Amino acid sequence: MTRLIGQRLLAMVPLLLIVSFLTFSLTALLPGDPADLILGDRATAEQYEMVHERLGLDQPFLVRYVQWLEGAVRGDLGTSFFNSVRVVDAVVQRMPATLSLTLASVLISVVVGLGAGVAAALRPRSWIDRLATFGATIGQAIPNFWFGLILVSVFAVALNWFPATGYVPFKDSPGQWLRSITLPALALGLSTSAAIARQVRSAMVGVLQQDYIRAARAQGLSALRVTFKHALKNALVPVITVLSFQVTVLLGGALIVEQVFAINGIGSLAIAAVRQQDIPMIQGIVLVLVLVVMLVQLVTDILYGLINPKARPS
Amino acid sequence: MTSASLPAQTTRKSRPAWMTPSTLAVVIPSVLVLAALVVCALFAQWLAPYDPLDQDLIASLQGPSAAHWLGTDDLGRDVLSRLIYGSRIAVIAAVEATSLAVLIGVPIGLFIGYRGGWWDRLTMRLVEAIVSIPGIMVAIVIIAILGTGLHRAMFALGILYSTAFLRLARSVVLTEREEVYAKSARVIGASPTRILVRHIFLNIAPPLIVQVTLTVGAVLLAEAGLSFIGIGVQPPQASWGTMLNTAASYMELNPFLAVPPGLAIVATVLAVNLLGDVLRDSIGRGIRVPAAPSTAPARVRTAPSRPLPPRADDMLRVEGLEVMVSPKGGAEVPVVTDMSFRIARGETLGLVGESGSGKTVTGLALMGLIGAGGRITGGRVTLDGTDLLGLSKAGLEKVRGNDVAMVFQDPTTSLNPAYTVGNQISEVLRVKQGLSRRAAWDRTVELIDRVGIPRATERAQAYPHELSGGMAQRIAIARALSCGPKLLIADEPTTALDVTVQQEILDLFRDLQDEFGMAMLFVTHDLAVAADVCDRIAVMYCGEIVETAPVDDLFANPRHPYTSGLLSAMPHGASGTPPLPVIPGSVPTPGHWPEGCRFAARCPHVTEACAAPVPLSGDARLIRCVRADELVLEAAQ
Amino acid sequence: MTISFKTLVASAVLSVALSAPAAWAEPSGTLRLGEQAKLITMDPHQHSGGGAGYLRPVYESLFDHDADNNLIPLLAESYEVDGTTIKVKLKEGIKFSDGAEFNAEVAAANLNRVIELGVQASMKLAEKAEATGPYEITISLKSPDPSIIDALSGTAGMMVSPNALKDPALDRNPVGTGPYVYSAADSREGELRVYLPSPDYRTPDDQGVARLELSEIPDATAMLNALKTGQIDIAIFLSSPQAAIVDRTSGIQLLRQPGGTTYHLGLMDREGTKVPAFADKRVRQAMAYAIDRAAFSKAVEFGLSVPAYQPYGDGLWPHDPALDGKYAYDLDKAKELMKEAGYEDGFEFDMPSIPVFASRLEAVAGFLKKINITMNIVTVEPGTLARRSMSTDFPATNLVWNTFLDPKYLTTYYVAKEALFNPYRVEPDPRLMELSEEGLAKVEYADRAPIYNEMFENVSDDSYIIFITTTPILFGVSDAMAENPTVKFRPGTDTPILRGLRVDN
Repeated sequence: MTRLIGQRLLAMVPLLLIVSFLTFSLTALLPGDPADLILGDRATAEQYEMVHERLGLDQPFLVRYVQWLEGAVRGDLGTSFFNSVRVVDAVVQRMPATLSLTLASVLISVVVGLGAGVAAALRPRSWIDRLATFGATIGQAIPNFWFGLILVSVFAVALNWFPATGYVPFKDSPGQWLRSITLPALALGLSTSAAIARQVRSAMVGVLQQDYIRAARAQGLSALRVTFKHALKNALVPVITVLSFQVTVLLGGALIVEQVFAINGIGSLAIAAVRQQDIPMIQGIVLVLVLVVMLVQLVTDILYGLINPKARPS
Repeated sequence: MTSASLPAQTTRKSRPAWMTPSTLAVVIPSVLVLAALVVCALFAQWLAPYDPLDQDLIASLQGPSAAHWLGTDDLGRDVLSRLIYGSRIAVIAAVEATSLAVLIGVPIGLFIGYRGGWWDRLTMRLVEAIVSIPGIMVAIVIIAILGTGLHRAMFALGILYSTAFLRLARSVVLTEREEVYAKSARVIGASPTRILVRHIFLNIAPPLIVQVTLTVGAVLLAEAGLSFIGIGVQPPQASWGTMLNTAASYMELNPFLAVPPGLAIVATVLAVNLLGDVLRDSIGRGIRVPAAPSTAPARVRTAPSRPLPPRADDMLRVEGLEVMVSPKGGAEVPVVTDMSFRIARGETLGLVGESGSGKTVTGLALMGLIGAGGRITGGRVTLDGTDLLGLSKAGLEKVRGNDVAMVFQDPTTSLNPAYTVGNQISEVLRVKQGLSRRAAWDRTVELIDRVGIPRATERAQAYPHELSGGMAQRIAIARALSCGPKLLIADEPTTALDVTVQQEILDLFRDLQDEFGMAMLFVTHDLAVAADVCDRIAVMYCGEIVETAPVDDLFANPRHPYTSGLLSAMPHGASGTPPLPVIPGSVPTPGHWPEGCRFAARCPHVTEACAAPVPLSGDARLIRCVRADELVLEAAQ
Repeated sequence: MTISFKTLVASAVLSVALSAPAAWAEPSGTLRLGEQAKLITMDPHQHSGGGAGYLRPVYESLFDHDADNNLIPLLAESYEVDGTTIKVKLKEGIKFSDGAEFNAEVAAANLNRVIELGVQASMKLAEKAEATGPYEITISLKSPDPSIIDALSGTAGMMVSPNALKDPALDRNPVGTGPYVYSAADSREGELRVYLPSPDYRTPDDQGVARLELSEIPDATAMLNALKTGQIDIAIFLSSPQAAIVDRTSGIQLLRQPGGTTYHLGLMDREGTKVPAFADKRVRQAMAYAIDRAAFSKAVEFGLSVPAYQPYGDGLWPHDPALDGKYAYDLDKAKELMKEAGYEDGFEFDMPSIPVFASRLEAVAGFLKKINITMNIVTVEPGTLARRSMSTDFPATNLVWNTFLDPKYLTTYYVAKEALFNPYRVEPDPRLMELSEEGLAKVEYADRAPIYNEMFENVSDDSYIIFITTTPILFGVSDAMAENPTVKFRPGTDTPILRGLRVDN
């Protein structure tokens, strides 16, 4: 297993290099002089020069890239164009909200998706199956932010069970954190729950038709035991692949759902950066998000190896 | 050791998948929704009751009324009109982003797939990098460079989704390329490139269409999302996303504002996704699906055979067993009828027949494991005096494993790939026998050793995929025997194995039976195998037994024309001559059985009397043939 | 609401009376404020736009206003105006929270920095500041300006520690003489700013709360929800729809501050560099006629505002009765003017927007649509509208005018060639510049009013500033805060007076 992790970590390096190069190219792609963005149009030539020097724009592109990369390796992603906020600090401060939202919705999707998928698979073509399949199809067509609005109007505005907006960090108050994260996580987790439910159902239906399930039943093991021990573990194998992909989707979705619930996460940071064309901030956000995605993939790879003995390097 | 190999069940031509009623129920509403969308988009000027930007501040935030069917927004603009104009944005968005994705992705994908090498590796690395960034973030970054607005945002989405088309086109090229070059090595005179181009164009269309529907759905959701956060379509232009953005601000004053645009998005995306599902099903799994018999007889008439005389040493008695199954979307059909046989203690009965004759179903029926699609509709099964069919679910569960166990055809699929083999045996011991973890494990190792596997302790830790087929089957046998069952059902236990291993496994069965003394039902399509291990043989045809006899008698003197046919089809001695197709015609599938003798259509000795149902008759030997007493049939050579 | 005008006050009445000292008590409790404006910088001299509230806990100005809108000295002791020379005596023994001493040298350095940076429009007429004694500075003006003392009660008069002035990251590391210090460790960028009592503050009684939290909540709905759920005690600035909801929700109350803000469009490109149509006065007038201000006030502002045709509402001294109803809604006239100008078929232009202005601008876009003008709304980051309006990024803008602002600022903001919101450097009507100087030369309202009225009429006729409505400054507060006698605001601004504010009673 350690070898697998080692291999995976090594494989991340070239990918990170490519992503970092892509994101760094943004400054080159940006039409016009970044100094215009910073200074507005009443700047003097000296001010331009100062900004150019500060951003290193007087250097060739590749030199700047290498310098930026060096900084990135040391954990320094530069400073915002518009204030002295360090990109790393801003991203690190906003990350917990986005990550806990993503994590909570992963949990919800796994629980809901597994439940619905298994229930549907156990009785194919029954009303439960039809309901779950129908629900999953609808669930994938509902925009998460709209579902968020609906949840707010019902559970926050009308019933007042949850706060409509805002985010309380876990370390401030776990209870408040849970209350603040519930509706957003539900909204965000909907389509992933649906995707997982569909995957679990089809995997489960396939697995339940396998000889080894029949064989286990033939040994007199109970239906419950066979379903939840023998079948589920096998059905989880493709589900984990889906989940790994879905975490990326959720992370992206979080950026939008955050806006519905006025959660100050990476989403609002990214949107503000886009509106101001704050390129260092955007670069930093992309790089950190990719890093998170890769770590998630690493974790799912490990999980995959744990569940599927065939995937282990021998 | 090939024997009378028998034709597989045929797949019949049928209507395309999208024509079935259940699919039509999905397709028609979806097409209607999309048609309505396109009509709204094209004719918004005429359909919308108001100008979408025409505000009436005095009449703001109103609920639905006769003048404004869906009410008004914060500036008193007509929501219905904005919704209709919004559909135009939706269509533009979908068309722009999707075509851009196709136009960028497909050519690049084709190129790198064809060119290969560095181009391919570099591009795929880039694609990998883009895919590892959350999609919305990619769009946000591109918008950061280009600026906001519908067309720019759609350009961003086009770039984003082009990666999917790129990968699709590339994989089509790679697959086709392999095939074409493999073939063209044999066919001289055709330029492989030209064939490749033709093949690609033929093969890329179906997955491309499916991918397009997926992309359209994703684009619609993404457009709404980007407009909602204010970096897509800009107000006051009416798009469903911007309408939701407005609705979010007035959630408390008029929550209804969020409903129309939300439902419009859901309905459109749902329609596109459902159509995509149908397309994928029909393209992915081939347009044709196996037929359900359209005019299935609800029941087959049988002439009940007379009851078997009881014997003192009977371990298993099966009398008049009848099993029906319902194929997907079809009426219930019988697969086993009038099934009667018995097995004595320590005796091995071979159940021999072609695939589809119902022999495996019979084995499963004895264990109550036919599955959701089938049920036992008649007969009695008695194991050592216990009526198995009368048992409760829990009772049956208790009998399984303890009193009856089963070995399946393919050991590589009958062992759970996710657990070690030792775990799978010891689990049975723990659950069924109540052994402790430790004791169960020790006994497991013992059993593994007993079935002839060297280094049992070590092998117990192995996963099924780490074992050879023969080894795995030994494990399966060890598991079946772990609780010392009174009856072992072996369902074609050697068919999936190498010829060299088959004999070892058969020897193992004989040894184990001597040691454990259980009765055995040995299901096989191979008469030679049956002859090797069985005491008696029951020959099945079309869901019923046509002849039962001790092995030697059966081989020396077959009494049923079908038995005789099977025997002549056996390879002669060790010469390895291929089996002769001595029985003309094919086996009728369940639901298409004739009313009388089911073998009549292929029987050289058929008479008029064969048109009526035939019972099993005889004493020491049971035969289901009206001419059993008069025919002299060919025996094994 | 996002620009700095409203942080300044017009009244120049001097009062030496300080608020009655409260009984001394340890700071306790947490006060949580919701700020609609996003924090752009904590460097007061670079600060423009809304969000002065982020600076008030840390920085003190030379002067301040009390709850009755009296000008009071804060870091200053007294002042003396003599034509273009202003002498300010400073208090002695005041220390910055980093231990540095506050004296004339520091004060002069601060003021010279303000003048040099040129961000503070209110200091446009100041030339330089000098230390003329250990605790006395002399400010020289280019020309007389009676409102400069007012300016020194805002961000322009905020004193930054001499050490912090050298810090390139001053925008996030503020060091002042105020009762609270900024806690970067507890704060979260873009979300929450935490302030703790300054350990060596000279009058500990004024430090009422143990922890002061300012949340950045640019989203109006989120602000309302935060107030309703008790996540904040005071919502600083509410937009009208949310104010309407606050007004009818129990447990929270709507506070209307005296004065208000006048929402207006500025057609900055009035020589038609980017949008040729703007060069035609008739087009600009047509735009003014096309807006139904009554409907706008009722629907967009939920009846909380009144139609406006000039910066100041009825009852304020600069108000010009002659302008009432000048551009009353007249679609036919608007269309006719457009036709005369040759723009019957309309034209298109971009308008920057921030979320709180979104519904106003959509309404304006709807009105302009009726005379075939397409106004594209371009959302910019909240807090940057003022800055973007100072650049040629957009041909027009939309801002609010604080009615406590001296009318002289009309020149510095819009009229003068070098005016802040005149990025296209349009030469003003010479008459306006004459009037501007005349207005500064007089002291009494009665003398100044006619001068400014003529100025308003001139600008109104030229119609490059289209006033729409005047809205009072609206706060949402919890019932507890509404009943708390120590909760006071600087009139006409959106900042509470922190000194003496307690939450434990």
